[in-house]
Amino acid sequence: MGREVSESCIDSLLTEMVASYCNQFYSNTPELAARRIEAIGYQVGHQLSERYTMDRPRFTDHLEAIKFICKDFWSELFKKQIDNLKTNHRGTFVLQDNKFRWLSRISGDPSVDNGTQDPESKAAQAMSMYLYFPCGIIRGALSNLGIPCAVSADISSLPACEYNWILRPCCFSIKYAF
Amino acid sequence: MATTACFIIVSRNDIPIYETDAGSATKREDASQMHQFILHAALDIVQDLAWTTSAMYLKAIDRFNDMVVSVYVTAGHTRFMLLHDSRNDDGIKSFFQEVHELYIKILLNPLYLPGSRITSSHFDTKVRALARKYL
Repeated sequence: MGREVSESCIDSLLTEMVASYCNQFYSNTPELAARRIEAIGYQVGHQLSERYTMDRPRFTDHLEAIKFICKDFWSELFKKQIDNLKTNHRGTFVLQDNKFRWLSRISGDPSVDNGTQDPESKAAQAMSMYLYFPCGIIRGALSNLGIPCAVSADISSLPACEYNWILRPCCFSIKYAF
Repeated sequence: MATTACFIIVSRNDIPIYETDAGSATKREDASQMHQFILHAALDIVQDLAWTTSAMYLKAIDRFNDMVVSVYVTAGHTRFMLLHDSRNDDGIKSFFQEVHELYIKILLNPLYLPGSRITSSHFDTKVRALARKYL
């Protein structure tokens, strides 16, 4: 179970997945495309969580499972841990990744300008499609560990760096019934 | 030495997804129903015990006549339950670990719906071989 794939293959696969679902399969309904991508992520997360918890003791409560996602699971997937974990102790966790690996090679397109919508929000909308897959992965992993939840993600906007998406922290917020 | 052994895998929703009779003793007609009954009755005990410890291998949790039920719980709360009459703790633990690896390989199959029955004959052959080896 230890074969490796080059990272550019993964990047191409993810880019192509979002492109096919958005432009080909569900071109008129981006919400459905998002849900399909998230469903794929759900199954992948389910499988990966089972695989990565094989050699370690089981979890005794929710916080341990969330910490596993932030540390071990994230390191296996993205070779780094979550940079910041916040909670409101009432069923919401926010995971912040300052340099999300799968978005690190995406650049904004300065030529996009059709006047009806400012380029900032159009780019944000396009970027959000790439975040549904990791959201699904987190949701699948947590559901397998016994925490049914809803996961959403957004890229915070800092006015200083407009088209430089690499520097924007990516926040995944997990909401579950307490 | 003839051993009786009945092995089932129960998913987190309490649905058995795999069962096999892996012993080398000759089976009586009512033996297989009896084994299933004992194993399903032990599910309640597993449920309580699983939350008290973070270990995966819960050793012998229940007895019936001279047969013992041993259980191994994964992080996703899938339970591997073995009804046996031998006392080989280490062998049983190794058996569970190897079956866990096989189970993960089944789970990684994108066409396998998690929680559905495992119908792969390859998996069946391998589990029987492991049972002969470790039990």
